[in-house]
Amino acid sequence: MRKTRKNIVVVGATPVGLEVARQLAQRGQDVSVVDDSKADVSKAVSQGFAVKQINLQDDDELRRVGIGSEVDVLFALLNDDASNVFLVISAKAIAPHLPVVSISGSRDTIERLYAAGATKVIDPYRISGYKIYELMHRSVIAETMERTVFGKVDLDIAEVHVEEGSFLHGKYLDELSLDEHYNLIVLGVVDRHFGDHLIFATDPRRHRMDSGDVLVVIGPEEAFARFHRDLGEEERDEPSA
Amino acid sequence: MAVSDFIIRLAYGLEESGRYQRIKAAAYDLLENPHARIRPYFDIFMMLLVLSSVFFLLYSVKHHLGVWSDYYEDVVVTLFILEYLGRMWVYDDVHRIILDEYEKSDLINEPFRLSRALWTIMRSKWNYVSSPMAIIDLLAILPSYRPLRILRLFLLFRLFKLFRYAHSIQQFSSVLREKRLELFTLFSFLMFVLLVGSSAIYLFEARETGGDIEGFFEGIYWALVTLSTVGYGDITPHTVEGRLVTMILIISGLGVISFFTSIIVSAFQEKMGEVRDRRVSLMLEKKKGYTVICGFGRVGQVVAEYLTRDKLPFVVIDSDEDTVDLARRLGYLAVQGKAERIGLLQTLGVGRSAGKILCLTGDDVVNVFVTLSARQLDENIEIISRANHHQTVNKLLHAGANHALEPFKIVGLIAGEYVGQPVAFEAIHGIVMGEDDIRLEAIRVPPGSWLDGRTIGDVPLKEMRLILFGVITALDRSSDQVRSHFDLEEQRFQFNPGADFVLLGEDMLLVFGHQYSVMRLRQKLKAGRWRKVNA
Repeated sequence: MRKTRKNIVVVGATPVGLEVARQLAQRGQDVSVVDDSKADVSKAVSQGFAVKQINLQDDDELRRVGIGSEVDVLFALLNDDASNVFLVISAKAIAPHLPVVSISGSRDTIERLYAAGATKVIDPYRISGYKIYELMHRSVIAETMERTVFGKVDLDIAEVHVEEGSFLHGKYLDELSLDEHYNLIVLGVVDRHFGDHLIFATDPRRHRMDSGDVLVVIGPEEAFARFHRDLGEEERDEPSA
Repeated sequence: MAVSDFIIRLAYGLEESGRYQRIKAAAYDLLENPHARIRPYFDIFMMLLVLSSVFFLLYSVKHHLGVWSDYYEDVVVTLFILEYLGRMWVYDDVHRIILDEYEKSDLINEPFRLSRALWTIMRSKWNYVSSPMAIIDLLAILPSYRPLRILRLFLLFRLFKLFRYAHSIQQFSSVLREKRLELFTLFSFLMFVLLVGSSAIYLFEARETGGDIEGFFEGIYWALVTLSTVGYGDITPHTVEGRLVTMILIISGLGVISFFTSIIVSAFQEKMGEVRDRRVSLMLEKKKGYTVICGFGRVGQVVAEYLTRDKLPFVVIDSDEDTVDLARRLGYLAVQGKAERIGLLQTLGVGRSAGKILCLTGDDVVNVFVTLSARQLDENIEIISRANHHQTVNKLLHAGANHALEPFKIVGLIAGEYVGQPVAFEAIHGIVMGEDDIRLEAIRVPPGSWLDGRTIGDVPLKEMRLILFGVITALDRSSDQVRSHFDLEEQRFQFNPGADFVLLGEDMLLVFGHQYSVMRLRQKLKAGRWRKVNA
C-alpha cells in the first residue's frame, strides 16, 4: 500500500521535525530537512542528519528546494507558530495544491494555520494528552492499538481505491464479507464526491461503491497481499473477457 | 531486682501482644492521627461537648439548673480527663523505653537500672504535660471546682480547647506565631507609650491636682482606652496639660493600630497560599484513587479536560504562578510548588490515597525525578511520564514509570501514516482520538451473563450497527480457529474471530460503533437477560 515513494520536505530541524524525518525515512520516503536557523541546523548536523540551511522568507530559495515542482508533501514543523503560518502561506502561494502539514503549539493557532491553507494541522499536545488519558482509563484499547495498528508489523490500516471494473465496483458494503473471505475488516468508505467524511460500514444508508471511493480496511499484511492479488487479477482478466 | 524483672517481662509481653498494639493504634487514630477517618467526627463531637458545657456553665450564672446539669458536667469532665490521659498514653511507648534501656544496658554489659528508665519515661511524659495544648487541656478540667471564683477564669480555657479540634483556629495561631517578632516589637512600643501616657495623665489629672484620676491603675486604664481609639469618655482630662497628653496619645494610638493591622494583614496574605493548599489537600483527603498531574502545560491541560469530562477527581501541581492561576480559574484543584519536593507529593496524598500520577513537565530531569520519588512513596501507584527526548524513555521506565510517552514520536507516527494514506488516516484519526461519534470501545463480558459461553455469531452485532474488531482473551486461550492473534502484555488479542468463536467471562469485545450502540450493548449485558433486538 505504500508503493509510491514520495518526495517530502520537512521544514524545521527541531526535535519534532527530526523525529518526523526519521520516521518517514524509515517508511521508505524520500525526505529532506531544511531550516533557516544556523544553530538548529548545526545541531542537527552534529546528530547525523543531513540538513540544508536556507532562507525561509525567500520564495526563490523555497522553489529551489522543490516546492512547486517535485515535492509531494511539505511539513512545516518550526518551533514558532508565527513562522509556521508564514511558511504555510508562502508555500501555498507558490504551489496552491501542495499538501502542507503543520503542527501548532496552542489551540488558537490551529484555525489560523487552516486559514493560511494548511491541509492538516497536528496538535501534538492534544494527541499526547489524549494518549495519556487513554493509557489511564482505556489501557486495553491503548495497548491493543499500540501493538497492532500503530506498531511496525502486525495489523495495517490501509485504503483501497475502488476502480472502474474491479469486482468491488457497484457492490454494497455489506455484501462484501471481506472479514470471512480475506480476514479484513472494512471500517467504512469515503466517497470522494461528498468530501472526506467516512461513511461507517454499518451506516443504515447503504452505500453502493463506484470508482473514486476509498475503502478503509484493517487487516494483517498477508491478507492485504491476497486481496490485492485478487483485485489485480480481476483487473487483468477484465479486458480479455 | 524482682520488681525490675517483672517490669521487663511485662514490657516484653506488651511488645508482643497484638491486642495491646491494636488498641493503642485505635486510640492514636482517634486522638492524634490527622489522616484517620474517624478524626473529623471525633473533633466535632468534642467541640459540641466543649460548647455545651460552657453554655451550661454560663447559663448557671443567673439561673439555677437541676441536678442533671451537675451530672452532665461530671460526664464532660470525665471525658476530658479520659482524653487527657489517653493523649498522655499514646504520646510515647513506655514499654518501648524500658526495653530500649534494658537492651542498651545489656549491650554494654551493665546491670539494668530501673531508676534510669523511669527517669527517661518521666522526662518524655513531662514533655507532653508541659506542651501548651496539654496545659490548656488540664486547665479546662479545673472549672469543676466551682467554689473559687477566680477558677471561673479557667472556663475560658475550655473554649481554648476548641483550638485542638478546629484547623482554622490553628492556622490563625500559626500566623500569629510566625509574626511574633513584629508583634513583640509592637508590644514593647505599646508598653512604652502606655507607661509614658499613664504617668503623664496621673501627674496632671490626679484628683489632688483637680482631675478625675483616682489612682495610677486608672491612669493606665484611661491611657489604654484612649490609645486604642475606643475612648469611653468615663474619664476625661480637664487641664490643658492633660488635653495635650491626650492629643499626643491619640496620634500615637493611630500609629499602633495601623501597625498592628498591617502586620496581621500581611501575615495572612503570606499565608494565603498555604491556607489554600491546605484546603486542597483536605478536599483530596475525602477522595480515593485520584490523579496527580505534575505540570500544567498543554498536555496537562488536555488531560485535565478529559478527566473533567469524565468527572474524575484530580489535582494539578505546577511551579509557575500564572499556570496555577489558570488552573484555578478553570475550577481545578491546583497547588503551586515544585513537584520535586517529596513533602508536597506526600501532602497531596501520594503514597496514601492518590491512584495515579502523571509527570508531564517539559523538563525530562524533573519528570524522571518525580517518577522516582513517586515510586518510592508508593509501590502500586500508576505512573505515566512524558519523555521529551527519545533517550529518556528508558530512564523513565527504569525510575519506575508504568508508561512513558513521547509526544514527538507520536507526531512522527501520525505524519508517517498521513503521508502514506491520507484518506484512511483522516478516517481512523477521529475514531482513535475520540473526536468522532464513532468510537472504538472495549466491552467486557461479565462472567455468568447470557453472553458467557455463547459464540460471536449469537451476538447481534450487525443489527446493533457494531463492527467487531477483535476479542481480548486470557493469554492461554487457544487461537486455532482465529486467523491472526497478537499477544499483549498480559492478554491475547484475537483479531477478527469467526462467528463460531466462543466467548467466556472476562473476555473483552473490541468494537467500532456509534457511542449509543456501544452504550446499548453494555446496558443489555447489564440487564442480564437477552431480548431480541428489533432490527
